[in-house]
Formats: sequence, C-alpha cells, structure tokens
Amino acid sequence: MHISDGVLPISVTIGGYAASSALAAWSVRRTEAEALPKLAVMTAAFFVASLVHVPFGPTSVHLLLAGLTGALLGASAFLAIGLGLILQSLLFQFGGLTALGANALMMGLPALACGWLFQTFKGAAPTRQAVLGGVAGAAGSTLSAIALAALLATGGEDFFGVAKIALAAHVPVILIEGAVGAFTVGFLARVKPELLKPAFTRRAGAPHG
Amino acid sequence: MKSMGKGLAAAVLGCCLLGATVSGAAEPAAEQGCREAVALLKERNVQISGDLRRIQREIAALRADLDRPAAKDIVGGIGYIFGLFGVAAFVASRRKEH
Repeated sequence: MHISDGVLPISVTIGGYAASSALAAWSVRRTEAEALPKLAVMTAAFFVASLVHVPFGPTSVHLLLAGLTGALLGASAFLAIGLGLILQSLLFQFGGLTALGANALMMGLPALACGWLFQTFKGAAPTRQAVLGGVAGAAGSTLSAIALAALLATGGEDFFGVAKIALAAHVPVILIEGAVGAFTVGFLARVKPELLKPAFTRRAGAPHG
Repeated sequence: MKSMGKGLAAAVLGCCLLGATVSGAAEPAAEQGCREAVALLKERNVQISGDLRRIQREIAALRADLDRPAAKDIVGGIGYIFGLFGVAAFVASRRKEH
C-alpha cells in the first residue's frame, strides 16, 4: 500500500509534505534518548515488513505493521515510519519520492491513533495487553486503507469505491497483522513489560529499558 | 549463436546450389538439392525461433527478479536505520553530558 509518483494532485503532495514534516518534528521532540534502541529495532522491522508478501488471488499484498509500530513506540512511531518509508522508497522503489509526505501521513496517522488507543486502554494484565495489541495491529492496516482511499479521493477517485477495494484487498493483511500484534505484544508483556510503558508521556529520569 | 552460424552455412550452401542450377547441368538433381536446402533452412529456423523464445522467457524472468528488492538492499536499509539511530543516540548522549 504505497502511493506512486504522479497520482496525487500537486497541492495534496505539498500539503502532505508539510503536514508530515511537522508531525515528524513533533515526533522527534517527543522521542527520548533511552527509547532510541527500541525505535531503531521497530523502524527496521517496519522497513522489512513490507517485503513479507501475502498472496491474495492474482495479486499479493504486503504487511504494513503500522499499528504495531504505533502501539510500541507511541509518539515516536511517526519518525520510525517516515524513515522506514524514505528508505523503502529509495532502495525498493516502493512508492514515489514525491508522494513520500502523503505516504507518511497514510501510515503514520493510523500508527499514532493505534499508539494512543493501545496506551490508553492497555491496563496491566498481559492478556488484555495482548488482545489490545492485536486490535491495534488490525486497526493500523484498516485505518491505512481508509487513509489511502481518502488521499486518492483528492485525486478525483471515488472515495467509497477505493475504500471498498482497498479494504477488501487487505482483509488477509488485517487478519495477519492482528495475529502478529497480539503475539508480539503478548510476548513482550510477559518477557519485557518495560517496552510497553507509555510512550506518549514524557518520563523524567526513566530507567534504561 | 552456433545454430545461427549453421543456418548461415546452410543458406550459403543453398545459394551455391541455386547458382549451379542457373549454370544449368542436370535439372532434376539441382531441384532435389534445392529442396533439401530449403528443408534444412526451415528446420534451422524452427530451432532458432525455439531458442529465441527461451531467451525471451529468461529475460522476462530476469526483469521480474530485478523488480524484487535484492538481499543487499534489505541489509543495506537495516544498516542505514541502525547507523542513523546510532548517530542520534551519540548526539543525544553528548548533549546530556554538556
């Protein structure tokens, strides 16, 4: 799910760049030095996840991991997704460079929404966290598909038509991401619960994770 | 390439035989030779077009492979990510010291 060059009108392209730069700057300011290793690992995971292809009928769709990135990184997720998308665009030719801002918005906003959802409702029980991780993973892909439809609608496409196709094509991805999110968060909740600490709030003198 | 050379040789042979016909000795023998040469050429033609089709298939497969990211791109990208965050961590630690 990447938008290619020349699909979006110029105003949307520029607006996407402006909005995503602002969000990236905000994301950098909310990132703490202690969180950098986690951020690096999640960025690498997001970068590579797009290569995991799920066969679907005649075509294949790939994992996004926007929801899981958001759940684990909180506000820093936008930075991770932006950097991952830049490298995907440069090295894999996934999505055009001019559409980078729009692509970052398309996956970064759902990631932030999932991060907020996860951090707000996660509670303390590992099972609940795992379930919520799965919900966040699935919601990330769903929201990204809707965002894709919204962005393409600015280029003159029919919003509901594109949304229907994008959602239908991503049903397997949504299911797999839900499973991946539930498994990852469940595992982390049991093994290293510090990694699931609130990432939206600034912590003073937080211990190293 | 080899079969193409053979085809060329066969064509030259055919032309020689045709020339022999024009110089006019035994008509039926020349006609026989010509027909053989044509048959040979046709056979070579079939072979060459088969080879060409295989090469075209190979080119298409190569092109599909080129579209897919190579392992070095993946490893390079991960290296970029860790490198950039390493620099960020270094700068952050320097800033904390001062």
